[in-house]
Amino acid sequence: MIQLENITKVYQTKVIETTALDNISLEVPEGEFLSIMGPSGCGKSTLLNIMGMIDEPTTGQVTVAGKLVGNYHSKATARFRNEQLGFIFQSFHLINELSVIDNVELPLIYRKVSGKQRRQMAEAALTQVGLSNRMKHFPSQLSGGQKQRVAIARAIVGQPRIILADEPTGNLDSAMGNEIMDILMRLNQEQGTTIVMVTHDETMARKTHRLVRLFDGQQVS
Amino acid sequence: MFSSYFKLAIKVLGRHRFFTFISLFGISFTLMILMVTTSFLETELGSHPPLTEKDRMVLLPRLIMKKMVTDTTWSVDTTMLDGQPAYDSTFTVGKMRQNSYSSSSLSYSFLDRYMRDIPGAEAHSFFCADTQFDIFINGKKLNFKTLYSDAAYWEIFDFKFLAGRPFQPSEVERQVQVAVLSRKAAVDYFGTTEQVVGRSIEMDGKQLEVIGIVEQPSNSKGYVTSEVYLPFTLMSGSALTETGFHGPFTAVFLAESPEARATIVEAIRQKAGRIPLPNPEDYNKLELMPATVIGLYAYHMMPVQDDPEGALQMFTMVAIGLMLLFILLPTLNLINLNISRAMERSAEIGVRKAFGAHSGSILAQLVFENVVLTFLGGILGWLFALALIYLVNDSQVLGDTQLQFNTAVFLYSLLICLVFGILSGLLPAYRMSKLHIVNAIKFNAL
Repeated sequence: MIQLENITKVYQTKVIETTALDNISLEVPEGEFLSIMGPSGCGKSTLLNIMGMIDEPTTGQVTVAGKLVGNYHSKATARFRNEQLGFIFQSFHLINELSVIDNVELPLIYRKVSGKQRRQMAEAALTQVGLSNRMKHFPSQLSGGQKQRVAIARAIVGQPRIILADEPTGNLDSAMGNEIMDILMRLNQEQGTTIVMVTHDETMARKTHRLVRLFDGQQVS
Repeated sequence: MFSSYFKLAIKVLGRHRFFTFISLFGISFTLMILMVTTSFLETELGSHPPLTEKDRMVLLPRLIMKKMVTDTTWSVDTTMLDGQPAYDSTFTVGKMRQNSYSSSSLSYSFLDRYMRDIPGAEAHSFFCADTQFDIFINGKKLNFKTLYSDAAYWEIFDFKFLAGRPFQPSEVERQVQVAVLSRKAAVDYFGTTEQVVGRSIEMDGKQLEVIGIVEQPSNSKGYVTSEVYLPFTLMSGSALTETGFHGPFTAVFLAESPEARATIVEAIRQKAGRIPLPNPEDYNKLELMPATVIGLYAYHMMPVQDDPEGALQMFTMVAIGLMLLFILLPTLNLINLNISRAMERSAEIGVRKAFGAHSGSILAQLVFENVVLTFLGGILGWLFALALIYLVNDSQVLGDTQLQFNTAVFLYSLLICLVFGILSGLLPAYRMSKLHIVNAIKFNAL
């Protein structure tokens, strides 16, 4: 589902050059639940961003859902990202001014979907994460776990084939973290969604199909 | 999509109320000034009665006589010829230059003799505006501006009659003592506009029968704005018998179409060259100054001599320059405010882009939000503008000009709001739309 070939990412300033990823090659088959671990600053999030086509590698090739990614800034790439990918962020990144259901509808705004259909799909996604009774609430009225469930609903509302989660349980206590993990595993098992998750939590990582470890931008296992 | 943008735009306004207040105050004040200016220009230059056909009119308000002389230089050279001094003189003929100049409105006899058969003119009228009369009634002094005209005047200028009718050609010819009053004159003299037709008004030692009452023109143009309108044959003194070229009259010609005005202008200019001058030793060149309604307006505003079209160009440039300056400063200010507001939303922009928004949709969203803000400012500006127009009209600070806020001004105001909103929102929106997703998401929390 995702193929990375010889991916290198170098951050360059006038003074210093930092290699965030060093010649990474990785394949994530369809339906796999993969976790990426490693110490802070080892390049986990950079790798995830490159898989999600929201960051561009310095060298190397990225193929997502059979499509070799070319222009990262084109309208076609934006549309492809909208259809194929869903993102979950550590700090949720919900829009505070919008209600829960409006937040969940967000990816559908960029598709040709009627308002009525958008609402139905958002309601279904919120039901799936157990938040059908919080649709009219605003993010500030929710707990951390509920916010992350809203973020998951937003990620799955467009029925993407791939979900990329950047430390989805990082800001949550263990009970809430487990709840989120259960939802992700259910998605993977029941709907066959390919999931790539960056985590610091070994316990969570062990629940996934495969674990990739990074150290100083290199894949070590 | 746009309903979602609208919802968000309203919510974002509540984020930083002080910022919102500053933005709205700036926008509403700027738009108020622009709306009042638009209202002024529309009142002064729009096509309203009695100037509905202004685009077909050519006015002839001035006649210019000049004495043109050539500059000659006489130089004398002294040489020795056969031992005797000899003188050789040389005349150098230079360019023609103006030696003396006389400019004023025209005499009735000149217009009657030379300006009745102008090609391209469907109708013409000669009139004399801005004569003042003091009238005493019930111990009160009234000062009435009076305009003398022929009957064709009423065909060219479509005054709105509140009662009665204009004077007829036969009444002009027979010097019948009739008058048309403006609404203001009727109210000032009779205390009402009701049942005034048929009553008499005493002016200039004459008893004049009121035959019509017209709505006061709302603009400041002296050739339509008056209090009393009389047949020109009632003019006293030598105004009608004077045989010179200068006098108190102005002519107006109605062209068949706006395009045909050029024919009239050209015909008038050509005719000026063929008219023999009465005293060539005093003045040997005659020029006539035809002007469009807007050209004449600009001529009165701009320091340009005898060239209404040049004055119009200068007026247009000055007006556009002032408007741009007035829009530019608050726009730059708003752009700055918008940039800081937008930067706070970089994480949101990053998330939107991650979920499929392309740069164009981010640009459209932010510009749309700014247009919503501008329209809110526009509503406030509109209310302020209505209040200011009321105060300006009530205080008569602009003389005869009574500012209007009609449909045209409303539509122009909408356009101004839209342009202002797009202009001030475009640059911040463009900058945000080009943000790198990863950097945007990292920038701050939502």
